[in-house]
Amino acid sequence: MDVTPRYLGAGSFLSRRDPRVLLLVPVLYIVAVAGVDDLRVVLACTAVALAYYRAAGIPWRGVRANWAFMLTLTTLLVLANSILTSAVSAQAGPGEQVLFNAPITHSPVTWTTLSYAATVLVRYVSLALVSFPVAFNIAPSDLGVAFARLGLSQRLAYGVDLTFRFLPSTAASLRETVDAQRIRGYEHSRSRNPVRRLLSLRPVVVPLTVNALIDAEDTVNAMDLRGFGGRHRTWMRDLAFDRTDLLILAGFSAVAAVMVTAKILGLTGEVWVP
Amino acid sequence: MSTDATTPREPVLSLSSRTVVYGAVGAALYAVLGLFSFLIPGTQAVQVRPAFALVPFFGKRFGVIAGLFTGLVGNAIIDLISGYGLTYWNWSVANGLVGALAGLLFAYLPPIANEALRLVVTALGALLATAVGLLFVFTDIWVQGIDVTTVISINYLPALISDAIAVVILVPALDAIWEPLSKRTGR
Repeated sequence: MDVTPRYLGAGSFLSRRDPRVLLLVPVLYIVAVAGVDDLRVVLACTAVALAYYRAAGIPWRGVRANWAFMLTLTTLLVLANSILTSAVSAQAGPGEQVLFNAPITHSPVTWTTLSYAATVLVRYVSLALVSFPVAFNIAPSDLGVAFARLGLSQRLAYGVDLTFRFLPSTAASLRETVDAQRIRGYEHSRSRNPVRRLLSLRPVVVPLTVNALIDAEDTVNAMDLRGFGGRHRTWMRDLAFDRTDLLILAGFSAVAAVMVTAKILGLTGEVWVP
Repeated sequence: MSTDATTPREPVLSLSSRTVVYGAVGAALYAVLGLFSFLIPGTQAVQVRPAFALVPFFGKRFGVIAGLFTGLVGNAIIDLISGYGLTYWNWSVANGLVGALAGLLFAYLPPIANEALRLVVTALGALLATAVGLLFVFTDIWVQGIDVTTVISINYLPALISDAIAVVILVPALDAIWEPLSKRTGR
């Protein structure tokens, strides 16, 4: 069982950036595209996101399954949202030509409905484009220091580091627990009843959790003995923005600022109909 | 059996080494066990994630910060391992809020002596924290521009139903086991 994030973009342009850049860019991008209903504007933002994603150097073979799952889920959501509910149809102007009626709800589907559906779908995809590098281009060991340098409490930032250190031992403990319970006759339920399946998981979840909590006490004592949290914490990894990092952040900040201004001026709130 | 397990021993928002370690343990457990889920028969997308029960449990037993950390970081790590980065960031925040609300709720509930009643209250409190915390997924209306009906029918209700099943069954089970151990270890 693989429980560690995959570092697929090693050596790429984005992997050489300060990890804070990769954490801040999705935030700026969300601010930019949230609430934008004009497909043309969202497509322009997506072009920026695509260029950013290509700089991550993530091999397609490694993320095919992720994209397939993400696109399936998003398409279902957009279909349900835009075709089967009548909310978007309400945005259509009076007298707009109805292309067809949606099955089940019989909501009228117009060009406005389709344009809005495409906008939501493209926005989801573009958010994934700027978010995937967080998963594949940041070394897990850099996340703690990155959050600390972004202003998160030093203790919580260390907690992020600690979580990644606990992952392999927790996975090993899970395997041990399952094996030990199997020796005692445990067999995971194949029932279709979700309640029965959950009840059958108790012999695994409960001892695994209790063992992890008992072991945690040693870690707490060790940290207390070393004066954890007593004064400002230093980190082995030194982070510093270089000129390229600052340019990327400035670029995305400018996009966010322009888009927020456009939203305030009401330039991007209308659904575009070709 | 009398119990004072719900009596807060530290300030509600304290951030000690204990909080950090238990939060990290909770997040790691949630991340590892969170990779296991199964579909409810007859539905297309309602998945029960048994590990979700750990979020309100850690909130109840180890406080607001540990609960918040378990839900927020645990769910974010599941997304990282699955490869989605921060695409569904608001779901991680919603998970964190469930843990924080459970911590807040049980910090102010009076001690309950009767064990059966305590377990029922634990299940109901965890359920309430889940129902309220998951309301944060309504931010999809702003972030993604989807309709409130869609958020309720596709996002909120399926998540609530599946998480409620896990919470009602596993949180009292975990709490019943941890109660005597916590007394023995002086927590």
